[in-house]
Amino acid sequence: MSLQIEPRIESHPMDESSSVIASRPATLSVPHDRNRVRRRLLWGAATVLIVILHLLAIRGTDFDPAVLVEGWRGMARFLGDAFPPDLNWETVVKPGLEATLVTLWIGLLGTTLSIPTALLLAVLAARSTSPHPLAYQISRAILSFFRAVPDIVFALIFVTAVGLGPFAGVLALICHNTGVMGKLWAESMEETDHGPQEALSTTGASRLQQIAHGSLPLVVPQFIGLLLYRFDVNVRSSLVLGLVGAGGIGLLINQAIKSFQFDTMLTHIIIVLLLIIVVDQASGFIRRRLAV
Amino acid sequence: MRDSVPAPPSTPARALTVTGLAKSFNDRKVLDQVNFHVNRGELVAFLGANGSGKSTTLKCVAGLSAPDSGIVELEGTDLATLHGRALIESRSRAAMVFQKIHLVPRRTALENVCAGGLARVSGLASITPVFFSRQLREEAMASLDRVGMADRALDKVGRLSGGQQQRVAVARALCQRASVLLADEPVSALDPHAAENIMELLSELAHQENLAVAAVLHQPDLALRHADRAIGLMHGRIIFDGPASSLNEPVLDTLYSPERSAA
Repeated sequence: MSLQIEPRIESHPMDESSSVIASRPATLSVPHDRNRVRRRLLWGAATVLIVILHLLAIRGTDFDPAVLVEGWRGMARFLGDAFPPDLNWETVVKPGLEATLVTLWIGLLGTTLSIPTALLLAVLAARSTSPHPLAYQISRAILSFFRAVPDIVFALIFVTAVGLGPFAGVLALICHNTGVMGKLWAESMEETDHGPQEALSTTGASRLQQIAHGSLPLVVPQFIGLLLYRFDVNVRSSLVLGLVGAGGIGLLINQAIKSFQFDTMLTHIIIVLLLIIVVDQASGFIRRRLAV
Repeated sequence: MRDSVPAPPSTPARALTVTGLAKSFNDRKVLDQVNFHVNRGELVAFLGANGSGKSTTLKCVAGLSAPDSGIVELEGTDLATLHGRALIESRSRAAMVFQKIHLVPRRTALENVCAGGLARVSGLASITPVFFSRQLREEAMASLDRVGMADRALDKVGRLSGGQQQRVAVARALCQRASVLLADEPVSALDPHAAENIMELLSELAHQENLAVAAVLHQPDLALRHADRAIGLMHGRIIFDGPASSLNEPVLDTLYSPERSAA
């Protein structure tokens, strides 16, 4: 039996031109992979499932590029009305800049005023620093709630309490940002080195002291990085909040659209674009400095 | 019942006594009837292969791991009889130094050493180094001076070398006012020169400052040169306890013999 195999190895075709060196490199047959068929079936099934989901989504959203092509005239009219932007200082640019500043303030206060609540919940919701499993579960639930409710819903709720205006926007951002930032902070707290905290536990330091001198100083750079990122996001969120009456440039954009002043709208959008570039660059600069 | 009783005068030098220590992880015996003591003024080296129970022993003494049974006495006080504040106070008489050093790199050496004295500071003011008292800072400076790091007090720990960081960690233990120093592989992450220096420091603290030092070591030659006594563990049992000078080839061969099934 073995004689049958032998000649097959010997008669292995050798390319004369390239194999000047007589010896072939050592080879070893790859062991039979039993899971190969199963793995391929799984991949195939996953592909089919994903395609089906997308077909359902396309039907559910009336997604149809043909309609967009047919309706280009409406878009062209809209853009034609918007150009050139209305650059009247007194009636458009100055109010736009003032409202943009309000938007920036909403984003700033919404971020910084959520630091205490986010920090408290992050410490309670990180496994390494939480004093009790119950406190861990409860604070996780609170964070999930604040994260799940969109800031725009919070804004609508607060408008009923404090009326239309930027204050409602600030309150809405504080709530939503507590949920998001608390979660992000808790995660970076769990990922950090627990050694210093453990070391302090052997010195007789209290739990609060262990966290304050062992864990928190380690995560300060990550916390500030996430804080800047959230500031960036919150300034953009406060734009949308303006649309539901929480003041700022979003409110002016909404008014311009409702009164068909598309050239005014375009000016406001350009101002917003500049604000977002400035905030993005500034927070990026600070984060790079911190990383060093 | 025994908390108010001072250490028996017959054993004044005995800083740490461990009796019948046992510990299992998932039915695997890690420590099995471990008995030993460490006197003041003595450097005891703990030797043994990986998984022999050396580190677990120190962790049980420091309170980082809970033994299944056994008695840990610090300065004559059985820790099992204490609760709450009294337990924390008694336990803080033993300080621990780690292989991975476990300092906060972003803070200064001084701030890290001050953290060793946190148990003596109470209230909300103790959560930031800004409010550390002058007395605590000066005590921390003296501790840093003791380990030869006073001139680097205001440097961030992350900028120091491994050996210097371990010195700062020892200073933190001194600032804790401990009488027992537990060192869990204090030199395993250091180069040979720094390792030698740290061992010299530990031996000085034992012989000049009368501390009881228990150090888990991985290099028998360091134990031979610096330790007064050596304790050898195998499969969670003490199989050698004698003067470091009596560590000879047969003993070491047994200690580090190819691992037999511990189950």
